[in-house]
Amino acid sequence: MAYATRAENLGRFFRAATPTLLGAFGVILWAAPLRLFEGQLPTPLLPLVVVYFWSIYSPSNLPAFGVFLIGIFQDLLAGAPLGLWPTIYLVAIYLVGTQRSYFHGRDQQVVWLGFAVIAVIASAILWSVMSLMSGERLPVGPLAIQMAATVALYPLIAGVFAEFHRRIVIEA
Amino acid sequence: MSVLGRDRGDGFGRGSGAGIGALSLALVSVLLLLSSLYAAQASVFQKARESALTAASPILEAFSGPIGFVSDVFGRVEEYFFVLEQNKALREQVEALRHWEHEARDLSELLAGYEALGLLYPPPKAQPINAVVVGESGDAFNHSMILNAGRDAGVARGQAVVDDRGLVGRVVETAGDAARVLLLTDVQSNIPVFVEGSGVDGILVGRSTARPVIEFTRNDDLFKVAAGQRVVTSGAGGTLPRGLVVGAVAEVGKNEAAVELDANYARTRVVRVINYEFPTVAPDGEREEDPSSELSQTLTSGAEPDVEAVRIAGGEGDG
Repeated sequence: MAYATRAENLGRFFRAATPTLLGAFGVILWAAPLRLFEGQLPTPLLPLVVVYFWSIYSPSNLPAFGVFLIGIFQDLLAGAPLGLWPTIYLVAIYLVGTQRSYFHGRDQQVVWLGFAVIAVIASAILWSVMSLMSGERLPVGPLAIQMAATVALYPLIAGVFAEFHRRIVIEA
Repeated sequence: MSVLGRDRGDGFGRGSGAGIGALSLALVSVLLLLSSLYAAQASVFQKARESALTAASPILEAFSGPIGFVSDVFGRVEEYFFVLEQNKALREQVEALRHWEHEARDLSELLAGYEALGLLYPPPKAQPINAVVVGESGDAFNHSMILNAGRDAGVARGQAVVDDRGLVGRVVETAGDAARVLLLTDVQSNIPVFVEGSGVDGILVGRSTARPVIEFTRNDDLFKVAAGQRVVTSGAGGTLPRGLVVGAVAEVGKNEAAVELDANYARTRVVRVINYEFPTVAPDGEREEDPSSELSQTLTSGAEPDVEAVRIAGGEGDG
């Protein structure tokens, strides 16, 4: 009896942690030397999609602390100044949180547009922090390409996540 | 997909509570960011970075195998279409290189002669450590790579990393079995370099673009630098060995020159970490007879700026 409850609890824990783990997986994929098309296409920023998707559809499955952990992990792995990515992701979930009711039940195109706005805001934070830290105006080109690639792939990734959410996070 | 979210029951968290949590954690992150601005080298941060590297490197290594295999297959398929042209180009290259081979053989013969006569004091040999790139920063502004060799293999901070083409970067972080290499394109990368042919040296500074630039220590130096001249590490400052190939001057601008790197970061997979013991001034009376330690004495004495000393050395090398 006690065993069953423990297994159940464990199952619930993993289900609850699935989006966070997926975010961490996104960070690892982002740090792997994928070099799509001979490095011409920068790796899409999968964790941003994870953060955006779950904070719209089911924030209880991706608590702010989970987002914080994803961000810290990304900072540590990228050698970025500590606190950079958590700031970006947490600002993103805060902004999405205030607009959640608007997005619910809307067309996917609207949600996609919302993601594009979030990507622009994230880029602005990233660019200004890195420029301040390095003391010079950094080029925006590479960042713009990376964010554009992420936004372009959003519908595909979100589609996979929706299936994932339905099958694992809710049901399982 | 649009079904998702239409049902409000999907979200248990009601806006405001989650918002406050996110904001307070965002505040914590900003504070972290500010503190890391002032104490980037703090031991707590170092430890955290190290343990993240240690934790992630086995996973990254497991990923890098299949990734390498897939990109190899694609690369091979692509190459089938160009086999004839490539053969021709390679044959021409071999023709051109034959002349250099003879020259190199003659020179090494000559050097062996000098060494036998006791006229030559070669710098200590470097001990290369082989490593594979298992990860890289996918970021637009942080340019680094993660290697699968670390402290246990003898990798230490400050060591140079080269691939078959040229200098890749320098080690900035080590864990037990992983290390981070800061690439030359990163804004934090500063490497002392020397422009061959013009006898000028400066600092190669990353600009977050494909081409880092050389910032010269003196303005009039710029007039001697021309596009196409070879750029190598100068060895000034005593961190990287002298003479590692970096690239070639691509463009000379105002107060700086852009450098086209020899390393191709999209292809860097197998690298060597150069474990180099920098020659220091010998503590005993050896130094009077050793010209190389005399040079390092001038370098370390600090009476003259390093530039001068290295330029003299460069002149000797050229002449």
